Amino acid sequence: MANELRFDGRVAIVTGAGGGLGRAHALLLGARGARVVVNDLGGSRHGEGQSTAAADRVVAEIKALGGEAVPNYDSVEDGAKIVQCALDHFGRIDIVINNAGILRDTSFQKMTEQDWDLIYRVHLLGSYRVTAAAWNPMREAGYGRILFTTSAAGLYGNFGQANYSAAKMGLVGLANTLAIEGRKRGILVNTIAPIAGSRLTETVLPKDLVEALKPEYVSPLVVWLCHESCTETGGLFEVGGGFFSKLRWERTAGYTFKLSRPITPEGVRDRFAVITSFDRTTHPSDITASMQPVLDNLASARGKVGNEFIDVDEALGYEFPPLESSYTERDLALYALGVGAGADPLDEKDLRLVYELNASGFYPLPSFMAAQAVGALVRAAQQGKQAPGLHYGLDRVLHGEQYTEIRRPLPTQAKLVHRMKIKDIFDKGKNALVVTAITTTDESGRELCYNEVTTVVRGAGGWGGERGPSVEVPLPSRPPDAIVEEKTRPDQALLYRLSGDWNPLHADPAFARGFGFERPILHGLCTFGFVTRHVLRSFAGGDPRLLRSIRVRFADSVFPGETLVTEMWQEEPGRILLRCKVKERDRVVLSNAVVELHREPPKEEAPGPAPSAPTELQSADVFAVIADHLQRNPDLVSKVQAVFQWQIKDPDSTWTLDLKNGSGSVTPGAAAAPDVTLTLSEADFIAMTTGQADPQKLYFGGKLKITGNLLAAQKLEFLKKIDPQAALRVIQARRGTGPATASPPASGLRSEAIFRAIAHYLQAHPELPARIQTVFQWKLTEPDSAWVLDVKHGTGRCAPGTAEAPDVTLTLSEADFIAMATGQADPQKLYFSGRLKITGNLLAAQKLDFLKHIDREAAARALQAEQGSGAAQGSVQAPPAGQPAQGCAPAIFRALSERLASNPQLAAEVGALLQFHIQSPEASYLVDLRPGSVGVRPGRDPQAAAVFTLADADLAQLVRDPQVARDLFQRGRLRVDGDVLLAHRLGFLKNLG
Amino acid sequence: MARRTHVIGVGMTKFQKPGQSDDYHIMASQAARAALSDAGVGFEDVEQVYAGYVFGDSTCGQRAVYELGLRGIPIFNVNNNCATGSTALMLARQAIESGAECVLALGFEKMEKGALGSKWTDRASPVEWHANLMNEVQGFTQAPPTAQMFGGAGREYRWRYGTRRETFAKIAEKARRHAANNPYALFNQPLTVEEILASDEVFDPLTRYQCCPPTCGAAAAVLCSSDFANRRGLSAPIYIAAQVMTTDSPSSFQEKSMIKMVGYDMAKSAARQVYERAGLGPEDVDVVELHDCFTTNELLSYEALGLCPEGGAEKFIWDGDNTYGGKYVINPSGGLLSKGHPLGATGLAQCAELVWQLRGTADKRQVEGARVALQHNLGLGGACVVTMYRRD
Repeated sequence: MANELRFDGRVAIVTGAGGGLGRAHALLLGARGARVVVNDLGGSRHGEGQSTAAADRVVAEIKALGGEAVPNYDSVEDGAKIVQCALDHFGRIDIVINNAGILRDTSFQKMTEQDWDLIYRVHLLGSYRVTAAAWNPMREAGYGRILFTTSAAGLYGNFGQANYSAAKMGLVGLANTLAIEGRKRGILVNTIAPIAGSRLTETVLPKDLVEALKPEYVSPLVVWLCHESCTETGGLFEVGGGFFSKLRWERTAGYTFKLSRPITPEGVRDRFAVITSFDRTTHPSDITASMQPVLDNLASARGKVGNEFIDVDEALGYEFPPLESSYTERDLALYALGVGAGADPLDEKDLRLVYELNASGFYPLPSFMAAQAVGALVRAAQQGKQAPGLHYGLDRVLHGEQYTEIRRPLPTQAKLVHRMKIKDIFDKGKNALVVTAITTTDESGRELCYNEVTTVVRGAGGWGGERGPSVEVPLPSRPPDAIVEEKTRPDQALLYRLSGDWNPLHADPAFARGFGFERPILHGLCTFGFVTRHVLRSFAGGDPRLLRSIRVRFADSVFPGETLVTEMWQEEPGRILLRCKVKERDRVVLSNAVVELHREPPKEEAPGPAPSAPTELQSADVFAVIADHLQRNPDLVSKVQAVFQWQIKDPDSTWTLDLKNGSGSVTPGAAAAPDVTLTLSEADFIAMTTGQADPQKLYFGGKLKITGNLLAAQKLEFLKKIDPQAALRVIQARRGTGPATASPPASGLRSEAIFRAIAHYLQAHPELPARIQTVFQWKLTEPDSAWVLDVKHGTGRCAPGTAEAPDVTLTLSEADFIAMATGQADPQKLYFSGRLKITGNLLAAQKLDFLKHIDREAAARALQAEQGSGAAQGSVQAPPAGQPAQGCAPAIFRALSERLASNPQLAAEVGALLQFHIQSPEASYLVDLRPGSVGVRPGRDPQAAAVFTLADADLAQLVRDPQVARDLFQRGRLRVDGDVLLAHRLGFLKNLG
Repeated sequence: MARRTHVIGVGMTKFQKPGQSDDYHIMASQAARAALSDAGVGFEDVEQVYAGYVFGDSTCGQRAVYELGLRGIPIFNVNNNCATGSTALMLARQAIESGAECVLALGFEKMEKGALGSKWTDRASPVEWHANLMNEVQGFTQAPPTAQMFGGAGREYRWRYGTRRETFAKIAEKARRHAANNPYALFNQPLTVEEILASDEVFDPLTRYQCCPPTCGAAAAVLCSSDFANRRGLSAPIYIAAQVMTTDSPSSFQEKSMIKMVGYDMAKSAARQVYERAGLGPEDVDVVELHDCFTTNELLSYEALGLCPEGGAEKFIWDGDNTYGGKYVINPSGGLLSKGHPLGATGLAQCAELVWQLRGTADKRQVEGARVALQHNLGLGGACVVTMYRRD
């Protein structure tokens, strides 16, 4: 063996080497070149008698193997003699293997002191004496390998072996310390607990097990540990029967009592489960590690503690259960009024804060979030929810400092969750400071805002704790860069308290007097709100979205009616230092104040406006989006559990969407075992996955073929949840990297299509202008276009351009307009989120509701038609009558009218008034088949015996074959209100038009 | 002549919305205790248990019954879709007929919110043939699948007979009116026909209030032999006069008919056999609990059970022959529509209501002088159990 571990030149002592483990160790060492002192007293396993035969036999065996060895017959209690033997014969000593041992097994009750003493002397004292004699020669040589032999009986205990167990564990302790003392001198010390059948264990283990546990299975570890290339020391191993393992100490994380308080037996009992739990553990490897928890405990005790008001150890780091609050536009407006906004009701900047329909937008004043967070804190306190260890009442508390950081654009209404934590506690001598950190998230868990509320606890300091940082913001010596002076209202506090701070100190004169104030004082956070407005007005153009953070110290009280003077210095762009004074008393009320501003309003990360026309989408793009969606929604697989194979035509491609196996996948090519196969054109596929076509409609229209498990196809619903924005990103990415495959269609096409649909709708509803009485001016952006929708004059008009006298002007992006017109966005929401701007007569804008009645399908189809042709660019004319867009209904009913005139018998067969409500495009016709009034006319009549509602295309089908009525009815495509049986008698429609 | 099977005890929990109920084993053990107490026997008298439920892992029956005690007796778990409860009842009856003395039939269900759907999507759907037929006849939409099936059957019926939408709504109105007097029912608030028609359309002609809600609850019945009742001196006037289960026949799929597909012929055949075996006809029935999972199915069931001639259901409804003062009182409990439909429990809740009616202890819901009761419980997939109860 090339890399055999050799011991040439090394001298080893193996005690008890006449048989068993010792013999095996000696033979293996001897075979590998060591010169071995084979020590054996030759006694019985109980330590009686003596003979030289055992040692001599092993020496002979080693020599027979070509090794070198001498016998030694001394007792290990004469350890020095054994070591001397090695020095005498070989001149050195490198390895000591303490192996000799005997047993005196008996139960503790029967054990004599002789039993105890004999075992102790052979195992522990004997190992000591041999080792001690070898120690100095090894130290001097700077090299040594020492091995002790312990036992499972010592490690775990064993009945009848109290003496043996004790002696064996004594060896472990001995080895631990020798490993430390010997390390620097090259002396490495290890211990094994052999699991082996030997002379000693024959009596306690069944014979067959003893046979299986050959000493030869132990010696390889011993030999490795004694080799010069092994650096292990202080190790403890269990070995035998092929099993090799190292032991170490494992300690529970335990429980640490604070040293500042009494530690009682009851306290130990109460924590005993924690103390004994191995759920969390450490593995200390030396005495320093063992001490660490105690050292930590000492360190943590320093400088904390507290007093009768505050137990710092208990309170610090406490996290309150989350608290909820919510607000709407009304709360925002009320708050803004409470901090002085709207004093000049013509001030555009203030209207942004108080008027939710304001033309230039409506935004939360960011200081509102401080009021929300502090409100949550106060509410918790009022409900008795205080952090453990804080034993003071609200009467001791003053709001000392406030830090508010806005982390996301603030919505105009939200449900909030506030998570509060005691962040710091400082001892300011007389008073204490308690800093509560409050993280506020919205319903979806996004962080909107972070607050730190520093409360001064009067008279609660003085326990000798940390004073905490003292941050003073020096103000520049130059005159302020901006000053805003604003007088508060005498009823300012009464107004402000409606935003949620109900402390009577701000309203009740008697209560305020009780606190030593001549009258109720203004809320500190009210002044905070005023100052926030002042900074935004002076440095942010009045745009509340620009506030990043604000920090202030409340220095003194303000009385309602006093004049606030805010002096501001722009230290660097976006960083404003300020101070606020009361003019009448020239007292600083807010100090140490810093505001940070954004340069421009931060963008919300959520999807912005709907994507513009994905006209050059390819199947591959869509599948990339689906793959992306799948990655974000790994639960889809468990929900859908189906493999879809897609056969895309024009151009052809095949894709597999596996939502069944593993975490799902999207791959080109056919599936091995699809649950369902869907065949459709690329255009339809894209329309379907971008929400422009309904899978059902495609299916019924014969454009989507489904084979396999039809029920599985129903699960395609999830495709509707795919983010349209993602599709756009994919295309943009492709546009950016690859060559443009097709130039994007002229902008404006899509909104044009919608306006055409509106024009159709107007044509079909000439009564609308009388009802709506409004001229709408549309200003679309991205790309820009202008349209007039006149629903006031004549029969109405929808055309590009600008109106001379619009009643209302609506400004929004083209994408939002399309989303709104196709029912994917709610005008109200667009409006309140600031994406739809309305100027002029707001009430008129409400009449836009009629847009909801425009057939979305028609709009979507118009859209598709436009995309398909890609031709109609330039100016748009209202479509001439009779174009396909008008549907086939007019022609059919005109023909019906003629047929009835020429064949009155037809009417008599039915004899009832029928109403046809046609959709896509929408139109209503009355077919009067009653005697005496036979005729066809547009319109509706509540007297109709039956109303048939169906799509224009289905009417065409019905005319070709009236028998399909039953099928259309069963499929829900023909809806019948009134007498269903009349639908059996539509034969008069056959072959019309 | 088979041994007579007596229903000596019934019990049920108040039906609840998903998320508001106790766990199934609590509900089930409550219903079982109520039934045992009603019967005047102890759990130690029960020799076997048939436990019905649809949603849950295997051996939920044991878990539920173990709440009553660990007695080592046979417990059979039963699943037969919406007919599960009456399937458990039928097996319990067969046990009595085969020599058992006292048997507990138990049904329970803890349902999730939302419409019924498939739990196992990696294997053939049990209603695959039904779904394929539906697809052939009317396609599929995103509406709840059962609403498409029973709604489609309603469409077919409307097409054939010109039935007005109001007629279906009147069934829901009646269900609410009846349920107002049932403390165990999920919905106690009456609704007008207008409100029912104005609720969201689920699948024309079905609106939301015409579909039974997902429900959590449990019901139980204790059955025993005549010997057992005599030996124990128990009052046992109510007995099962006849009971028949049917499953789909070729007509369910061959006739391309939604009405047939949703179990019309199963019900018709089961009812005909029950009338034959009991020697009584529909005209002898006083009170009926039938499977009104949707209003359309209640209407179809009138005809399938022979309560009115085929095509006569609309007149039957407008004549008030399905409620107090008419020919029959149908679903005095409020039915699945208003009492609720915990799948496994429904068949036994129907049994409980009819036992109370025959005992004359149905309080404000009592049908005067009721002596013959008919129960109809249907599951898609399919199984239909029709049971006739009489009192001595």
